Amino acid sequence: MIQLFHVTKRFGANVALQDISLRIRRGEFVFISGPSGAGKTTLLRLMFGAERPSEGQILIDGINLNRIRRVKLDMLRRRIGFVFQDFKLLNRKTVFQNVALASEVLGERQSITRKKAHQILRAVGLSSKEQAYPLQLSGGEQQRVAIARAMINNPLILFADEPTGNLDPEITKEIMILFRSINLRGTTVVIATHSRDLLENTDQRIVTLNRGQIVS
Amino acid sequence: MRLWVRYFRYAFANISNNRLVHVVSTGTITITLLLFSAFVLFFANIDNWVLEWGQSLSMSVYLKQGVDEKAKQKIKSVLVGIPGAKLERFVSKEQAMEELKETLGSQAGLLDGLNTNPLPASFEVAFGAPERAGIDIEKIKKKLENMPGVDEVQYSEQWLKRFEGLVSMLRIAGLVVGGLLCVAVLFIITNTIRLAIYSRRDEIEIFKLVGATDWFVKVPFLIEGSLQGVLGAVIALGVLFSTYSLLSSKTIQVFGLPLLHLVFLPKGHVIFIISLGLVLGLMASFIAIGRFFKLFYY
Ligand SMILES: Nc1ncnc2c1ncn2[C@@H]1O[C@H](COP(=O)(O)OP(=O)(O)OP(=O)(O)O)[C@@H](O)[C@H]1O
Ligand SMILES: [Mg+2]
Repeated sequence: MIQLFHVTKRFGANVALQDISLRIRRGEFVFISGPSGAGKTTLLRLMFGAERPSEGQILIDGINLNRIRRVKLDMLRRRIGFVFQDFKLLNRKTVFQNVALASEVLGERQSITRKKAHQILRAVGLSSKEQAYPLQLSGGEQQRVAIARAMINNPLILFADEPTGNLDPEITKEIMILFRSINLRGTTVVIATHSRDLLENTDQRIVTLNRGQIVS
Repeated sequence: MRLWVRYFRYAFANISNNRLVHVVSTGTITITLLLFSAFVLFFANIDNWVLEWGQSLSMSVYLKQGVDEKAKQKIKSVLVGIPGAKLERFVSKEQAMEELKETLGSQAGLLDGLNTNPLPASFEVAFGAPERAGIDIEKIKKKLENMPGVDEVQYSEQWLKRFEGLVSMLRIAGLVVGGLLCVAVLFIITNTIRLAIYSRRDEIEIFKLVGATDWFVKVPFLIEGSLQGVLGAVIALGVLFSTYSLLSSKTIQVFGLPLLHLVFLPKGHVIFIISLGLVLGLMASFIAIGRFFKLFYY
């Protein structure tokens, strides 16, 4: 599903990722761990096509991101959910509109979009906040809006960057169950985190980064 | 279809969410288009003025066959009485025949076969500039043709020599200046809209991140730009018309001559300026967002 071949990413003289080769199979559930600044976000952004590698190749579902055309990339992104570390919500739109947006860009029928948005917002426990605006929400609530938006289209791949960073242990557990269940329905899930707690009681695969390199 | 409903919904939501930005953009468009249409109006009036003052008029009043002397004198006195008219001469039937023969030259022999002279007698009247201004020639023609003894009235307008060059120069200058103004307006509107788009780059980024195609992002902006353009044009024309109404209610003097009447833009020009607003708004937002996409995405 996801293949990286000798990928290096430099920002000027700063090497964020160095010679990363990685293979994630369809339906896998993978944690990317590592200290702050290790390159976790950069790795996810590369796999999402939001950033181009300085060297190396990235294949997503058999498509080479170095050669992909813009329209193809748009189409690919519709099948990928991404929970951004900084959420990237539209502050001028309501919670409901933010989540619905990801379905609307597919040209989905309004009634279907509404149904899906209600459903996923219930799943992340935000039914009561549908008409609120992002800035009226707590950090943890905003995070859950971002998660709901990433999951609304039942994506092929779900990337989540520090998705439980602002959540208390109770909600963290619920969100992790949500990720599990979407994974069980076939979605490949890749979660970047530096949270020890999240990694401790898991039998899932863990890829550990340090200073831009895979250490285990 | 479903998509277009959505595009318009986005566009209107954007307008109500970014009211201030839209007011500023529309205001800029209004001001630039106001300048532009004021310029067009100025030229329309100059053109009209030159048309009124720069043309002379000659009129031929053809008399019926066998008209008596009394009717002829009556017609003559009416002609002399028209303000601004100058009675040039009376052309009798015989004179008319002479002149025709002269015109035909070597082919004058063709006329030898005629037993009677079919040509009518006529008065020739001239209206010089500037007397020609303010004369309703059609009305005079109607009035004369209703008089006993008058068969037909024909008139023709000629450009005064000294005005001919002026008119074509004015028109070329108008086109050039108008074209330059259009480019300037496009430039200003593009930059205004670009600022507006720049203030919403986070929004565009998020749309792209959830997989929106470029067009899905662009179309609402294009709709907004077009609406701003049309609205700006309509407001500009409204302001211009109010100003015009105020001015034209007073007597205006140009170079010491009374300008008989100001004209507002003809309907075609009004439609043109509104379409121009639409096209400029559309083009400006198209250019602005195109550059934006080039800058921020690969
Ligand atoms: N756009 C950028 N421009 C310049 N340098 C960058 C950019 N993005 C990331 N970097 C650098 O790349 C390195 C890795 O950053 P990255 O955000 O991937 O780390 P991270 O593992 O996600 O850290 P955190 O756990 O704090 O989120 C850092 O040294 C960072 O300064
Ligand atoms: Mg990070």
